Amino acid sequence: MRRSYTAVLERGEPLAGEWATEPYETGWASEALFFVLLLDGPPTARIAARVQLSPDGMRWVDEGTALPELRDGLAFVRVREFGNWLRLAGTVSGADEVRALIYLTLKE
Amino acid sequence: MEPRLSRFDPLGRIVYFDDFDDGHHGWMELIGNYEDSLDTMLPHYRDHRPPMISSATMWDTGSHGSLDGTYSLKVATRARAGHQAVAVKRATWRQLGLIQLEAYVACKPEASDLRLGNLDVRGFGLLFDLQNTQHRLMPHLRYLNAVDGQPRGVWQYKTETPPRVQTGPTGQISSVYHLDPTGWIDLPNGAQALCYNELPTKLNWHYLRLLVDLAAGHYLEFQCNDRRYDLSALGMIRAAPIATLPCMLNAAFFVEAGADKRAFLYLDSVLVSTAV
Repeated sequence: MRRSYTAVLERGEPLAGEWATEPYETGWASEALFFVLLLDGPPTARIAARVQLSPDGMRWVDEGTALPELRDGLAFVRVREFGNWLRLAGTVSGADEVRALIYLTLKE
Repeated sequence: MEPRLSRFDPLGRIVYFDDFDDGHHGWMELIGNYEDSLDTMLPHYRDHRPPMISSATMWDTGSHGSLDGTYSLKVATRARAGHQAVAVKRATWRQLGLIQLEAYVACKPEASDLRLGNLDVRGFGLLFDLQNTQHRLMPHLRYLNAVDGQPRGVWQYKTETPPRVQTGPTGQISSVYHLDPTGWIDLPNGAQALCYNELPTKLNWHYLRLLVDLAAGHYLEFQCNDRRYDLSALGMIRAAPIATLPCMLNAAFFVEAGADKRAFLYLDSVLVSTAV
C-alpha cells in the first residue's frame, strides 16, 4: 500500500498581498496536490498562486505550474518530480486580506 | 536483541515504537478546541504547524538523514520569535501504572545565515497529557535554551496553567493553554549543556526519557543522555477529570523559536511503554 499524508499548511491565518506557505519537506513522495479553499473574503477577492521548488528550503524557484481560478471557493494544482521541498506562493488582490485553508496532499 | 530497540530502555510493555523512516505513525499537529468557528480557538493554538517527514537536508552538505535511516519527523516553527510548533499522538492506556516516554531528538535553528545560531531556539520539550481516575495530568518538561539571545541551558517543568475557559456558546467545550510561556520552573540542579555542535547544519542526536506514575499521578524521573533527574518530589499540572477523556494517553513534542528564524525539532524515533 502506498503511503499518503495531508498537511494543512494554512488554516485561517490572514493572507494578504504577496504570501507563501511555510517550507514543507516532500522527498518521500512522488505526487503532490495543493488545494486552496477560501474560508473568508469579499466577492472581489482573487487568489493567484504558483508552485515553487527549492534545493534547501530557503531559496525558491517557480516550478511552472499555476493554481487555476477558484470555483465555488476551491481550486487545486497537481505536481510531480518536485524533489525535497514544496511551497505555494501567491498574491491576494481585490481585498485587503482573505482567510483560506491550504492543503498539501502527498502520496508515495 | 533487536538493534533498533537496544538503544531504548522500555518498561515491560511497548505501547508504540515509532521510527519515522516509514511514516508519520499518527503524529500530527496539535490544534486547540473550538465550537462553531475556528475563531473561538485560543490564539496560541491556531498555528502549531503540521510535522513533516524530513531528510534534514542542509544547504551546504545535503541530506543529513536521521540517527537510524534517512527520515525523521521534523516539528518546525514559523520564522517568528516566540512561535511554537507542537506535534501530538493520541492513544489510551489499558491499566494504571508506570508509563514512560523515550525519544532520540535533535534541535536546530534554520541555517538562514552563516552564524553559529546556538541561541536562536528558545527551547524544546516533551509532555504527556493523561487522565487517570482522579485527575487530568499533564507532565511537561522543557529545555530552555536561551531567552532574548542570552543562554539559559536548563530543564524546566510546570505545575500550573492559565485558567480553563469556555470555548463557544454551548458550554460543552473548554480549553486551556498548557504550553503558555509563563509558569515554567527550573528543575533542581537542572542546568545541562547539550551538544549543539559548531554549525546550524550539523545535527547531534540526544536521548530523552520521562517516567511518570500514572496511578499516583506524579513524576518519577527524567533523563537526558548522561544526566538523570529525580522528579519524585515535584508537583505537576493537575485538573479535574473531563468526562470525554477517560484513559487518555497523549504524548507531544514542541519547539519554540527564540528569534525571527525557524526552529526545528527532529524526532528520529519515539517509544512509549508501560509497566503492565
